[in-house]
Amino acid sequence: MKKLLAQIKAYPYTKYILLGLVLATIPSLVYFDVLKSSYVTLVGVVMIYTIVSLGLNLLLGWSGLISLGTAGFMGLAAYISAYMTMNLKMPFEVTLIVSILIPVAISVLVGLISLRIEGLYLAIATLAVSEIFRKTFAEFEFITNGFSGKSVRYPTFFGFFKLDTTMTYLLLVVFMVVIMILIHNLINSHVGRALNAMRGSEAAAQAMGINLLKYRLLAFALATALTSTAGILYAHFIKYVEPSKWNLGLSLNILAVIIIGGVRSIIGTFVGSLVVFAVPDLVLKQIPYFGKIPNFAYIINGILIIVVILYYPAGLIRVFNDGKDAVVKLFKKSRGKTV
Amino acid sequence: MSHVQPLEKGIILSIENLSISFGGIKAVDNLSFQIKEKEIFGLIGPNGAGKTTAFNCITQFYKPNHGSIRFLSKKDVTVELNEHAVHEIIGLGLVRTFQNVELIRELSILDNVLVGAHIDYKTGLFGAMVKTRKAKKEEESLRLEAMKILQFLGIADKAMWPVGGQPYGILKKVELARTLMCAPRLIILDEPAAGLNDVETLGLADVIRTIRNEYNCAVLLVEHDMRLVMDVCDTICAINFGKFLAKGSPKEIKLNKDVQVAYLGTQEDQV
Ligand SMILES: Nc1ncnc2c1ncn2[C@@H]1O[C@H](COP(=O)(O)OP(=O)(O)O)[C@@H](O)[C@H]1O
Ligand SMILES: [Mg+2]
Repeated sequence: MKKLLAQIKAYPYTKYILLGLVLATIPSLVYFDVLKSSYVTLVGVVMIYTIVSLGLNLLLGWSGLISLGTAGFMGLAAYISAYMTMNLKMPFEVTLIVSILIPVAISVLVGLISLRIEGLYLAIATLAVSEIFRKTFAEFEFITNGFSGKSVRYPTFFGFFKLDTTMTYLLLVVFMVVIMILIHNLINSHVGRALNAMRGSEAAAQAMGINLLKYRLLAFALATALTSTAGILYAHFIKYVEPSKWNLGLSLNILAVIIIGGVRSIIGTFVGSLVVFAVPDLVLKQIPYFGKIPNFAYIINGILIIVVILYYPAGLIRVFNDGKDAVVKLFKKSRGKTV
Repeated sequence: MSHVQPLEKGIILSIENLSISFGGIKAVDNLSFQIKEKEIFGLIGPNGAGKTTAFNCITQFYKPNHGSIRFLSKKDVTVELNEHAVHEIIGLGLVRTFQNVELIRELSILDNVLVGAHIDYKTGLFGAMVKTRKAKKEEESLRLEAMKILQFLGIADKAMWPVGGQPYGILKKVELARTLMCAPRLIILDEPAAGLNDVETLGLADVIRTIRNEYNCAVLLVEHDMRLVMDVCDTICAINFGKFLAKGSPKEIKLNKDVQVAYLGTQEDQV
C-alpha cells in the first residue's frame, strides 16, 4: 500500500491511468452479468461530465473566473457535431476539430467583450450567450430538428471504422485520461502558475508580467474547448441531442461537481461528477418514498454543497486524502510496534 | 531612435513633475527625483504622504495625470514608462513588492518565486501541456535558479511549503525572492520592514545591500522604520502631502528642518 502511494507520487500520471483502467473494465463486467448494462451509459456520462467539469475547474478553480454558460456551449458543440456528421456526412475527425473551434472562437469573442474590465462580467455574458444558444437550438429546426431532438450515430473513424457502444465507451475513457494528464501538466507549468497568480493576486500577477486579459481569455478558451469536447462526445455516445437539456440547471450541476468533488483537484472532479451525475440514478432513486420526490437529487446536491463547504472546503477528495493519511499513519504505527 | 529623451549617464530612473489626484485629493503633487545606477534610494514621508501612490504610478498600476517617468531599460534604451502597460514593466527590468504582501497562498514558496520568472519562459501552451523535453529542461533550470535565491535568503528548507499560514517575516522574504528571478535593474520595495521584528529588520539591511552588490541593481524603497532607512540608503527623498520636501544623504535629511517638522519630529519619540 505504502509502496503504491510512493509510486503514485513519483509517477504523477499513475492515478489517472489506474482510474482509466478500472473504468475500462466496466463493459466486460456487464458482459459477464456482474453489472447491469445501464452502467456503461451511466459511467460514460459521468466521464463526459468529468471532462466539462475539468474545463470549469480550470476556469473557476485555478483561474478564479466564473462562467454560467457551460451547458450552452456544450449543447452548441453537440449540435454542430450532430449536424456535421448526420446532415453534411463529414468525417468524425473533421467534425471533432470544427465543433471545438467554433465554440472556442465564440468564447474568445464573448471574452474579449466581457473580460476587459473585470473577470466577474464573464458570468453575466456567458449566461446571456447560453440562453441565446438555447433559444437557437429550439428555433433553428432545419439544423437542430427543434423539440423532436436530433439523432446521432456512434463515431466512425477513417471513414470505415465504426465504433459500437463498448468502443465508444472506451473512447471516452481514453479522452478523459488524456485530458486529465494534459491538465495535470498544464497546471504544474508556468501557464498554470500564471492562472493561479491571476486568481490569488491580480496585482502580483500583473507586476510579474502576466497579461490578465490574455490569460483570462486563455482560461476561458481552454474551458470552452473541454466543454465542446464533452458536448461532441455526449452527442455521439447518447446518440441523441435535444434542445431543453442545455439550461442553467445543467450549468449549475457542473458547478456543483467541482464544489462537491474538489476545487483544483483533477481526481476530485471525477469524484464530484460521480456524485452529481451517477448517485441520483444509482442510489437516490432506489430509496423508498424519498426517491419518488421530484428533484430529490437537487435537494441532496444542495445539502451536500453546504456540508462540503462547511467541513471540506477543498472538496470530497479531501475525505479520501484524510483516509489515505489515516491508513499510512496506521501502517507506520503497526510497523513501529513490530520493530 | 526612440523619441524619448535619453537619460544622463549614470541615471537609471528619472521622475519629472509627477502628479496624480483622486477626486480632488492630490496624492502626488509635482514630484521629481532621480535614481542613479546601483543606488539604494529611500522615499520617506508620513502616512498618507503618497509614497505607495508614487510607486503605483512608476509601475503603471495607476496612470499619472501629469509628468514623465523615464527608465533605462535592460536593453540600455531610455523608455517612458507611461507608454507601457502594467504587465510590460517587469520586462523592462523594473520589479516591485507590495506594502500588503501579494502572494498566492495555495502555491508553494518555490512556485511563488517561480511566478517571478514568468517572462523568462519560452515554452508555449502546447509544450506545457505535453511537457516536451525542452519544457522540462527550462522548468528545471529556472527551478534551480529559484532554489539558489531561496538559499541566499535563507529559506531554501521551506521551499515546498505552501505560502498560506507562513509568518510575516517569511512572506516578506518570498516576495523579495520573487523580484530577483527576473534579473532586475531596479527593485521597488514598499515598506519591506513592516511587520518584521528588530533582528529581522537588521538582517534585511544586510540583504538589501547584498542584493545591490550581487545583482548589480538599484533599489528604491519606502520605509517607516527610520533606522533601516538611515542605515541602508545612499540617498533619501522626503515627501509630504504628495509634495517634494527635501533630498540628500541620510545625515542631511536628519538635520533638515522641514523634514523634522513634517515627519521626524512626530516620529522621533516613538523610535
Ligand atoms: N486608489 C485610490 N483611490 C483614492 N484615493 C487614493 C487611492 N490610492 C491612494 N489614495 C489616497 O492618496 C493618498 C496617499 O496614499 P498612499 O500613497 O497610500 O500613502 P503612503 O503610501 O505614503 O502612506 C491618501 O490620501 C490615500 O487615501
Ligand atoms: Mg504606503
